Amino acid sequence: MKGFRTHWVLAGLLCAGSMAASGQEFRVFDRNVQVHGFGTQGYVKTDQNNWLTMNTANGGSGEFTDFGANATVPLFDKFRVGAQIYEHNVGQLGKWHPQLDWASGDYKFKSWLGFRAGKVKTVMGLYNDTQDMDSLHTFALLPQGIYPIDMRDATLAHLGGDLYGTIKPVKKLGSFEYTTYGGDRRDSIYGGYPYNLQIHGISTQKYGGPVVGGDLRWNTPLKGLTVGSSYVYEMITGSGLLNPSIALGGPNIETPYKEWSNNDFMNQYYGTWSSRSGKLRLDSEYRRYWRDQEIFSGAFRVTTDVRPWYVAASYQITPRLAVGGYYSRFTIGGSIDVPGQSFAASVSDPSRHLDDKVVAARFDLTKYWYAKVEGHFVNGYGGFYYPDGFYPAVNPNGVQATTNGVVLRTGMYF
Amino acid sequence: MKKTSLFLMAVAVLAMVPLAARAADMKVIANPSVSAGSVSADDLKDVFLENKDSLGGSHVDPVLEKGGPAHEAFLKVMGKSDAALQTYYRSLVFSGKGSMPKALASDAEVAAWVAKNKGAIGYVSGDASAPGTKTLDVK
Repeated sequence: MKGFRTHWVLAGLLCAGSMAASGQEFRVFDRNVQVHGFGTQGYVKTDQNNWLTMNTANGGSGEFTDFGANATVPLFDKFRVGAQIYEHNVGQLGKWHPQLDWASGDYKFKSWLGFRAGKVKTVMGLYNDTQDMDSLHTFALLPQGIYPIDMRDATLAHLGGDLYGTIKPVKKLGSFEYTTYGGDRRDSIYGGYPYNLQIHGISTQKYGGPVVGGDLRWNTPLKGLTVGSSYVYEMITGSGLLNPSIALGGPNIETPYKEWSNNDFMNQYYGTWSSRSGKLRLDSEYRRYWRDQEIFSGAFRVTTDVRPWYVAASYQITPRLAVGGYYSRFTIGGSIDVPGQSFAASVSDPSRHLDDKVVAARFDLTKYWYAKVEGHFVNGYGGFYYPDGFYPAVNPNGVQATTNGVVLRTGMYF
Repeated sequence: MKKTSLFLMAVAVLAMVPLAARAADMKVIANPSVSAGSVSADDLKDVFLENKDSLGGSHVDPVLEKGGPAHEAFLKVMGKSDAALQTYYRSLVFSGKGSMPKALASDAEVAAWVAKNKGAIGYVSGDASAPGTKTLDVK
């Protein structure tokens, strides 16, 4: 079935590519409807440790597929509606369950004030709302400390509304773009966090909760330089079923399970600079994610302090070839009051950090078809208290301290 | 001293050539329904980057050329390569924050589209004929 699905997706990609057009546009009730789509197929091979829930260490894995399609229509001069479907299968994640990626109405009163509501991609940092759109990026995998594909649900979208706009108080100061939002985050039960809970006998049925946040970025007078900051506060609750026989040594039954956050927030700071020609681009981001939560229906309390950051550079050598590299670091700490569990004392322990050194090349084969090759040199695995790419369920013999890997990815869009 | 002055004058003249070329290579045209008679370079960028959708109180809809000298001059005004501009539009399209502007193949197609559609704004070569449109001064 999986093979059939992959072939179906690849056929779809080829059809999309053969359209050789930047989207399709047609008229319905005197309105222009735009339809766009994309799809990618990847392959990951590592020397040791299975990565991103795929069986990457034994021959590599091609279970790395995603695609999406959207339609947008301007109903009035200032009001646009649209929706996008997204589906992915990455190892044990996604599992071919289509998601409503975004579906929103957007009304722009003025350049300094707009409103969008529905399911909205969350503006946070440089690439949060475009992290799934592989065609936009030089790298096959964005820095996983900030943009983990296994934890994309944690920040990706909210059901609610945004106020946004661009303000130019004084021309010499450049411009300021702001977004404030509120709503409800509803994670897929096929994401990395629910998958990580399975090993503890927890079957997640719902995960999410209210979120509020904002993003402010300054397009500085220094040409090409943008700096910004984002903040999110959320109250997250997870519910499902617990089988105590799996991790707690209890009876083999299913009982209701719940976990919830007492305090849960993210701060993010970022900067990006591109050269006048647009060929050279430098990015850097830092995030702090703090979570204070009650788990096992309030039996235990865990605090998690995650601090990832990265620096990245990419250069467009020719119109068809770009190269790049980044250094991404993820560290984790906190406290656990579960008997027998604790974080290692030092962040130099491989269970407390994950450093990823990456070199990459992107080839634009046609205007709508590209391929990427990327080398990852990973030190540390960041432990198992919060998902970061390495999972005990797919590494039953334990995780080694280093992982070297290659990622191949090709994609099309229209 | 005299040689230095001549050299500096020559450099200044050469530095002005690209600006003059840009102006000659491209003119901004709009449907007559657009009330503005001129547009600043910043506002022009904002319109084509979909940060701004009105000029002088009139709603505007940008239209691009797919290539050619006018498009090259336009990219210089925007300060982006064609690939970077297309990537920017795709980031809007796939994140639900905007739509892809219409892109047409030639000056004649752009001029015809702008003449026919209320609020349309585009660019054509400096010497292109664009009947039924108004030319906006870029300040």
